[in-house]
Amino acid sequence: MPPATRGGRVELIISLGVLALGIFAAVAAFRLPEAGGYARIGPNFTPKVFSAGLILLGVWLLAEVFTGGWREPVPDDPAERGEHAFHVGAFAWVSGGLLAQMALVHRAGFVLAAMVLYGCVARGFGSTRPARDLGIGLLLGLAVFLFFVRFLNVNLPAGWLKPVLGTAGL
Amino acid sequence: MGETLNALLAGFGVALAPINLLWGFVGVTLGTAIGVLPGVGPALTVAMLLPLTTKIEPTGALIMFAGIYYGAMYGGSTTTILLNTPGESASIATALEGNKMAKRGRAGPALATSAIGSFVAGTIATILLTLLAPIVVEFALKFGPTEYFALMVFAFVTVAAVLGSSMVRGLTMLFLGLLLGLVGIDDQTGQMRFAFGVPELMDGIDVVVLAVGLFAVGEALYVAAYQSRQHEEVEQMSGSLMMSREDWRRSWPAWLRATAIGFPFGTIPAGGAEIPTFLSYALEKKLSRTPEEFGKGAIEGVAGPEAANNASSTGVLVPLLTLGIPTSATAAILLAAFQNYGLQPGPLLFQTQTTLVWGLIASMYIGNILLLILNLPLIGLWVKVLKIPRPLLYGGILVFATLGAYSLHQSVVDLLTLYVFGLLGFMMRRWGFPVAPAVIGLILGPLAESQFRKALAISQGDPSVFLTHPISATLLALTAALVLVPWIYRVARERRSRQAS
Repeated sequence: MPPATRGGRVELIISLGVLALGIFAAVAAFRLPEAGGYARIGPNFTPKVFSAGLILLGVWLLAEVFTGGWREPVPDDPAERGEHAFHVGAFAWVSGGLLAQMALVHRAGFVLAAMVLYGCVARGFGSTRPARDLGIGLLLGLAVFLFFVRFLNVNLPAGWLKPVLGTAGL
Repeated sequence: MGETLNALLAGFGVALAPINLLWGFVGVTLGTAIGVLPGVGPALTVAMLLPLTTKIEPTGALIMFAGIYYGAMYGGSTTTILLNTPGESASIATALEGNKMAKRGRAGPALATSAIGSFVAGTIATILLTLLAPIVVEFALKFGPTEYFALMVFAFVTVAAVLGSSMVRGLTMLFLGLLLGLVGIDDQTGQMRFAFGVPELMDGIDVVVLAVGLFAVGEALYVAAYQSRQHEEVEQMSGSLMMSREDWRRSWPAWLRATAIGFPFGTIPAGGAEIPTFLSYALEKKLSRTPEEFGKGAIEGVAGPEAANNASSTGVLVPLLTLGIPTSATAAILLAAFQNYGLQPGPLLFQTQTTLVWGLIASMYIGNILLLILNLPLIGLWVKVLKIPRPLLYGGILVFATLGAYSLHQSVVDLLTLYVFGLLGFMMRRWGFPVAPAVIGLILGPLAESQFRKALAISQGDPSVFLTHPISATLLALTAALVLVPWIYRVARERRSRQAS
């Protein structure tokens, strides 16, 4: 019996995803060379076993979907989990912060990228004081930069702040 | 025996060196802090620090990482008692009584009994580790690849199938981790596997990116999406920390019993502290002269589970150090930390790196004393840490998370992979897939594969060796029973209930 509820449809999609991933890995595994040596098994043996395992687990998950849904599921209703409904804005701000950091880190440098990330994440978690958040983010970024670059010899890009930070970074 | 004592004394010489004392102090302080803070755990913290500490020499770094690991167990209880949301699954049992005590204005004694109980349990467990490790090492020196492979299979299956709510979802995560562990160059033949021509994949998937992605980014996305608009209440730290004579009388037997339960559970691959804390809770309730107090703030219900989770977290180090088998996500990351320095935990480590291993064990005696001081007189500081507003806390977590991943290769690709694993972690949390099996699979998988191939190379490709070697056969039979028995039981029960209706 195919699932009728929203939660059931998600279970179906994830189960198919696991199955697809297993098949994908199996195809890649079968293209690997044999080259056994004394062990008589080569670098392709374990990939085959593991992908077969994932395929089997995908089938198992599917079987659960069609026999009344996954066993011991996480409740689909957030209230039942003691949580609120999915907050799109919060998820988007956190994701946006991470993506912005990726875009900025090489050009603007670690400190400024960390400041933007910090501000976005704080906003995502419901903060209403962006100036304060960006300020704390800047200070945290600076502290982390100086500590790790000076004391632990970790390489971090200084970017636009190079004139201020000197030769401490890359 | 005398040999152990000598080694331990030499270890104290290492652990008491000022620089190592400093790293130990940093470790336990950081451990307490991350134990207190919701959303950050020891596995994540050690993973974030791995790429940042490559320039520190191994003894100091490992002393710090171990301090983070057992320090987090101390800090966790503070959050559990003052905030009704347990920081980790091992604290659920404490939450039952601890938060009730805080609500009745007895937060002080609850915090005291958990800190002192953690100290008692941590110290006894460290003594047991000291005594037990050389014995296990002696035994493990006789192990060949066949035995190691069987042991690893056993660990995989207990962690993935027996723990957590759903066996199939646990195993799915294990196999995902195992497959991710294969990405990159096969170190026995040089064959490239699952890299699909992407240069960044050729070195393999770094455990830092996987663990930090699943734990930090996934957790942040999840909490933002489902919990960030909720209000949570921190109980006031009211009343004195002093335990009354009555509190002491009721606490100390609970500490000792819980240590006796917790330590053995830590040493077997039963995956950490959750089961022994509940066992200890149930036992205390059963032995109590006033069982009606349970559920309303009975001090034994805090003393027992807190001691149990500390004893078991130290117990986890027995298989990790002597056999190289991690039985929890944090232990797996600690194993990765050893590997970062080109060290492989196991019986040989006790012979080749005597000062490092015994320095590490000795540092735990010192660490537990430091933790007692940090968590009793300085408790007020941690209550303040607990009150850091969530938006500022998670901003900080993600800055450090991305710092850890980025400093691996100064590459944006690592940040992107981190985000992708974050999305995966979000989905796993939302639909009930456990994280630990994936992390353990990633780290232990390649080791298991190499033992498997070595075993077969020795037997000239005859796979029956795994069943003819007695230790390996026993372990594999046990593994099969662990998977099949609950499954048969459940199918039988479902059939019976269907017949009944």
